[in-house]
Amino acid sequence: MSSVQQAVVPAPAAAAPRRTAKGWAYLRYGAGKVGGAVISLLAVLVTGFFLFRLIPGDPVKTMTGGRPVSAGQLAAYRREFGLDLPMWQQFTDYCGKALTGDLGTSYQFRAPVLDKIAEALPNTLLLTGTAFVLYTALGIVLGTRAAWRHDRLGDRLSTGLALTLYSVPSFWLGLLLIIVFSVGVGPIPGLFPTGGMESGGEEGFAYVLDVAHHLVLPVITLVAVEYGQTLLVTRSALLDEMASDYLTTARAKGLRDDLVRRRHAVPNALLPTVTLIFVNLGRTVAGVILVETVFSWPGLGGLFYQALSVPDLPLVQGLFFVFATAVIVMNTLADLVYPLLDPRVGR
Amino acid sequence: MTTTTPPGPRALAWRRRGHSAARFWKQYRTRRAGVLGLAVLVLFGLIALTAPLTVGSDVQSVTEAPGQPLESPSGQFPLGTDRFGRGLLGLLIWGARVSLLVGLLAAVLSVSIGAVIGITAGHFRGRYATVMMRVTDWFLVMPTLVLAIALATVMSRSLGTIILAIGVTTWPTTARLVRAQTLAVESRPYIERAKALGGGHWHIMSRHVLPNVMPLVLAQTTLVISSAILAEATLAFLGLGDPTVISWGGLLQDAREAGAVSSGDWWYLVPPGIAIAVVALAFTLCGRAVEAVLNPRLGVAR
Amino acid sequence: MSTQVHGRGLSGPTRSRRRMPATVAVGAALVLSAATATPLDPAPRQAAAADGAKVLTVAVAQSVDSLSPFLASRLLSTSVHRLMYEYLTNYDPKDSRAIPGLATKWESSPDKLTWAYTIRSNSKWSDGQQATAEDAAWTFNKMMTDEGAATANGSFVSNFEKVTAPSPTELVVRLKKPQATMTALDVPIVPKHVWEKVRDFSKFNNDKSFPVVGNGPFVLTGYKADSYVRLKANKSFWRGSPKFDELVFRYYKDQDAAVAALRKGEVSFVAGSPSLTPAQASALKNADDIKVNDAPGRRFYALATNPGARARNGQKFGDGDPSLLDERVRHALFMAVDRETIIDKVFQGHAVQGEGYIPPRFSPYFWKPSAGQELAYDPAKAAQLLDQAGYRTNSAGKRLGKDGKPISYRVLCHATDPNDKAVGQYLQEWWSKLGIGVTLDCLDNVSDPWLAGTYDLAFDGWSVNPDPDFVLSIHTCAALPATPKDVGATDNFICDKRYDELYARQLAEYDPVKRAAIVKQAESRLYDLGYMNVMAYPNAVEAYRTDQIKSIQTMPSAAGNIYGQDGYWSWWSAVPADSGGSSDSSSSTGVVIGGIVAAVVLVGAGVFFVMRRRAGADDRE
Repeated sequence: MSSVQQAVVPAPAAAAPRRTAKGWAYLRYGAGKVGGAVISLLAVLVTGFFLFRLIPGDPVKTMTGGRPVSAGQLAAYRREFGLDLPMWQQFTDYCGKALTGDLGTSYQFRAPVLDKIAEALPNTLLLTGTAFVLYTALGIVLGTRAAWRHDRLGDRLSTGLALTLYSVPSFWLGLLLIIVFSVGVGPIPGLFPTGGMESGGEEGFAYVLDVAHHLVLPVITLVAVEYGQTLLVTRSALLDEMASDYLTTARAKGLRDDLVRRRHAVPNALLPTVTLIFVNLGRTVAGVILVETVFSWPGLGGLFYQALSVPDLPLVQGLFFVFATAVIVMNTLADLVYPLLDPRVGR
Repeated sequence: MTTTTPPGPRALAWRRRGHSAARFWKQYRTRRAGVLGLAVLVLFGLIALTAPLTVGSDVQSVTEAPGQPLESPSGQFPLGTDRFGRGLLGLLIWGARVSLLVGLLAAVLSVSIGAVIGITAGHFRGRYATVMMRVTDWFLVMPTLVLAIALATVMSRSLGTIILAIGVTTWPTTARLVRAQTLAVESRPYIERAKALGGGHWHIMSRHVLPNVMPLVLAQTTLVISSAILAEATLAFLGLGDPTVISWGGLLQDAREAGAVSSGDWWYLVPPGIAIAVVALAFTLCGRAVEAVLNPRLGVAR
Repeated sequence: MSTQVHGRGLSGPTRSRRRMPATVAVGAALVLSAATATPLDPAPRQAAAADGAKVLTVAVAQSVDSLSPFLASRLLSTSVHRLMYEYLTNYDPKDSRAIPGLATKWESSPDKLTWAYTIRSNSKWSDGQQATAEDAAWTFNKMMTDEGAATANGSFVSNFEKVTAPSPTELVVRLKKPQATMTALDVPIVPKHVWEKVRDFSKFNNDKSFPVVGNGPFVLTGYKADSYVRLKANKSFWRGSPKFDELVFRYYKDQDAAVAALRKGEVSFVAGSPSLTPAQASALKNADDIKVNDAPGRRFYALATNPGARARNGQKFGDGDPSLLDERVRHALFMAVDRETIIDKVFQGHAVQGEGYIPPRFSPYFWKPSAGQELAYDPAKAAQLLDQAGYRTNSAGKRLGKDGKPISYRVLCHATDPNDKAVGQYLQEWWSKLGIGVTLDCLDNVSDPWLAGTYDLAFDGWSVNPDPDFVLSIHTCAALPATPKDVGATDNFICDKRYDELYARQLAEYDPVKRAAIVKQAESRLYDLGYMNVMAYPNAVEAYRTDQIKSIQTMPSAAGNIYGQDGYWSWWSAVPADSGGSSDSSSSTGVVIGGIVAAVVLVGAGVFFVMRRRAGADDRE
């Protein structure tokens, strides 16, 4: 939901250490970033706890599904889930357990939250991971091309297409793809499954193929709406770089134009893209909710929905924590990697 | 009262701003994509504003629906009918009002929060700024969609909820940009002079900083509207909107619930999506053009 | 990961080596994913065709909550348990009366406190052991003694005093007081020798090791959360082996995707949740090889009114609008509801106009208001009634409550039910003509305001059993919660003395005809009260592929439904079509064509990029 330019948040550059006293400065810088991340994680833990307790609804009554239950039984359930304790005690229990890696037991599935998440996470990662590799590659390649040939027809078309796809709601694109390539329109036969991740029961290589078959449409949807951002960032970074003085100098020295671009411009210009890549990695874990919904993908998004409607507090909190953690960890990694990659450091 | 005397400082300031607006427009005009985006927006704006005259509010009435449910496009209904038998073209036009309004208000809310926090954090520095920027950073790592869904679930289903959910979750980027700009502005010598002349915090922020960050805020608003419109559609599509209000996202949700995908009723599904994409694209184009004019070094729209 | 590859490639020394990796990487990745779309389409039927197994795939819109019969409460899970485990009794598919299951016969003592079941000796667990009365006794005893094991079905045994198994074929249940459900104990009987190893019943979900030992018509062989539940036919099932070799319940979050999957032949059956939409039904009717089962529903779809929520101890709670306590207001509201439009527009004919409480499918109990009694659609009369009741309109046309403020009702609706939202919009317009405002309160989970009584009106609906006792019982005073803190069996807090008398009389009446007459009187009373206004009886609309399923048992046999039956009849009885061949070959041809098209497009795109690059490079140099 962030807009094209917003995603570029390479704040670390400002704080990144330069040349002098590289080792120690970097360590101190890194420690600061990691410390900040830990604080953020704690903040997420706290928010998750209180935010979802605002959801109207008594989980115990919901779970018993309107069946006749006596006050005694309800109280027993509350005791089982620790809902009878005062809020502060619930909170300290929750924090204490969370720190030891226990996110509690899901109300509706009667299973440890970690297990439920561990079940769904690989599926989400498979979808987002595949899409991520493709859209990043596509974005960088097309972005570089667009910058090189900038303001020509090819660039205009490519950038225009990227912007257009970027403006398309992903769920809508997914539905259209289902209509055209799953259900089939006119002469186009329905080639791909309408949803889910597997047909069930395949083994070995057939299973891999089956999953890959199910993966095609959701991945295309994600790639189509996401690659534009990488393209635009790569393109504008490269344009910036190409206008800078040292390139003029390099050119003045008589280096060939494309050599200049390749040797100097591209590696430097990829820096903001690297940041974006990390930001994207963290973001897509949560951002995939829509595509998972449209394609019945058995991932975290679907789980989040089921959890919200009860509300299955431990599961909602756990998922929220996972979503936010993904972003925090990736942002921190970006912070840590950025100075290492910056070619101006130590060259 | 200033008519007889030579123009006062305020009038001068206004005149200067008038000039820079004219200069801005002159440069903006040279960006074809931006002009195209603006034209599309004006068109959609007109469509939305004149909707009460062209299609009338009766178009959303279910009891007076003129057609049969789910008719395919015909002379009477150029885009077919929805599940109640209402003409989809009319609904699409009527839905523009809500989608644009929500996008606009959510963006204004988001950018206002961002601007206030950004300016104050840039102006006051110290502990206040540290805390504010921590909060901002923290919001920045929140998965926006997840947070918005959570907020929309917590509150009752209404347009206000959607606006709030979008506004509250999307402001941090603006805050960071505005803060950076504020720091830059405040380092200029004339701020020193203003301070020396006894200008208070309010004076500095409203008279000097605000006008200087305004262009940035403007560009930011345009860009945020684009994502806000998409966000509104998303939340409505997920069933978190008010079902009695016609919006483009709501139409898509209706279409899916009615079974338009498997029955191949494309006329129910395709137009609202295109409308969303076109308007979101138009806002993005405008935003990029504005940004390019104001900050040529960004290189975004070259 | 790939970015590093690119980084290295991009700084590489020669152009050709640099150029290739980028294009090839993207191309290869895309081709890889496209290649998987090519010939080896592993749709279940084809996999099945290979080893000759017949697979029945059912699309469901619900996910499994737990596969432990002691914990599961969702319809899908309990349906799966029906298939995995035999229950003591089953229901006749024709008329739903109790018939033998694991028990071959049963009798009760004259005081109805001791029930003796004879357990059949021809039912074996899938690991070869004999199923005995000991298993049944152990199952019930576990539920009586272990709180965790009582989670799902504890209500069946809360009145049990003692359960014993004097011999492998004899099960004896002693009750504390007579219980009506003794021939309808919907409790899966589990194998003692497997389950006694379970330590914590509140956490054991029965989904870790497969196959799961059972004695039902199918054996659970695989499960993946939010993906599928897989079962294999139990060839030695005592009633006879199912005709299909395998049964797969596949999960679709989106009903429309499930319908599309049916059209393509990915699944053999689609159950609506609760029903296919009119658009889906009409599209499927025109499709080849698909049969739409449009059965008269066993549900009613009603508008419930909050009569002022209260508990049995007399304590009132909730905040229903006081004007609704006036019968004239309730009647007026319903008289402004045009049921014909609801049938025509919302259900598009896949429903029958609502009359009395019990759907016409249960003809012995179906009751219709007389012409004079009927609250027919008449907005003018409705406005008159409201005027008479003292709720007059102000100058702005808004009707004012006794407190002088304009009346506006909160209507509770299920956000997941499109019909609720559609009818809600009609209500909004119909009642606004009376000068009454409506706020549609659509929630994913309505049970909270519902149980708390914090609503004015609500969309309501129940599936009615052949014996109407249950749906009648939920409107008695006895069903109210004991205190505001309890949850009662009550539907919407109705408590009416005259209705209660009629309910008690029908319960005590053994003559079916006389009982039916009393039930109808009770329905009439309920109708007049105006707290429960039935708008429609929606059909059960579901569809299956005739090229995969030749025949399938509906319940009741005549014009019945398939999914969600009481019993395992539909899936046990389903007969595979002789050849699913035609659709198979066409869809695999489609897949091959699609693969070729995709490959061509991708190769084309790759060539295009390379060419463009080359052209670009030439331009520059």
